[in-house]
Amino acid sequence: MFPTLKTGAVMQYPAKRTLQFNTGIIRFLDGTEQRYRDSPSVLHTWTIQLDLLDEEELAALDQFFVTNQGKFGSFSFTDPWDGTVYPDCSLSADSFSFQLQEEMRGRTTLTVRENRT
Amino acid sequence: MIWFPQLSSGATGQFPIQRTRLARTVVNQSAEDYEVKLADPGAAITEWHLSFQELSDQELAALEALFQAVEGSLTPFTFLDPADNLLAWSEAQNQAAWQADPLLTLTGGLADPLGGTGAYQVSNPTSATLTLQQSISAPLSLDYCLSLYACSSQSTRVWLVRGSQSDARTISPQWTRLTSAGTLTGSGDTISFGIALDPGTTLDIFGMQAEAQTTASPYKKTAETGGVYSNARFRDDTLTITTVGPGRHSCELDVINVEHL
Repeated sequence: MFPTLKTGAVMQYPAKRTLQFNTGIIRFLDGTEQRYRDSPSVLHTWTIQLDLLDEEELAALDQFFVTNQGKFGSFSFTDPWDGTVYPDCSLSADSFSFQLQEEMRGRTTLTVRENRT
Repeated sequence: MIWFPQLSSGATGQFPIQRTRLARTVVNQSAEDYEVKLADPGAAITEWHLSFQELSDQELAALEALFQAVEGSLTPFTFLDPADNLLAWSEAQNQAAWQADPLLTLTGGLADPLGGTGAYQVSNPTSATLTLQQSISAPLSLDYCLSLYACSSQSTRVWLVRGSQSDARTISPQWTRLTSAGTLTGSGDTISFGIALDPGTTLDIFGMQAEAQTTASPYKKTAETGGVYSNARFRDDTLTITTVGPGRHSCELDVINVEHL
């Protein structure tokens, strides 16, 4: 499970969600085109920007990254917009960075990506 | 052992501190977005960007001495992460990283003060003092702070062990965060942190944390690795120092830990 903040929330504003289809297009000489689905369904991506975190919250996110070995691991993620549980998601990057400006002033960004199953 | 120096305040870093972890995953991606992934844990890199302001002459001299001793990025040194718990398996005292004296009993999975189930009950049924400790490869001579949450309805005292120093702390039926901090005398390349229980003592513990600083910061859970990096290096071969007045220096530097080097 993706770690929650002390407030119980997963994300903060501004929160970004991306829906990704994969459409193949064949263009013909006369300008017409034929389109087809190149993958069976939409894929979701959530960009989680977090600010004003304390060290405990940052440590939980850091451990989550380490446990998942970057984008290798799989976990379930609950979409905070509608509560839908996506059972097979991964972090989208092999890097995790945070900055501690001062006490209780941590900042980081993570991107979660739904895997094709 | 060569190690990254502490400032005169006892801290290893100043705010802001930035830490980046890099992993490596080999991904075979199909045209339909299906993926086969392979982890490469040996390629993990941890990087810190440290900014220092208002360093004194002595603090700067210590940094410069380290930079010269390791010849820039050439050779490694020990770096104690200023943003992490130095102890591994902070919520798994049954792991091999922890050395429990024989006959000390440990029961895990108990409710902890942060709402989880990471607490342990520790009991000493013998007539001798028993300890639960973890040793880390770090210089004995630095400032350290050991902290943990403890409670007990049966016992009133626990000893916090920090190297050769043991400090008695009072415990109550409510969860209380106990700390023991200071500088130890002597030299050595390993230091142990833990607790010692008087005969017949039973208490609950949670969130054991050691830090290379003089006070405790918020608890940070760790798993198989703590914040001790024995293979750290300067990322760059240059160290730029800005002096704005007598005894007022500043510099920025990057430290990396790469296990496969």
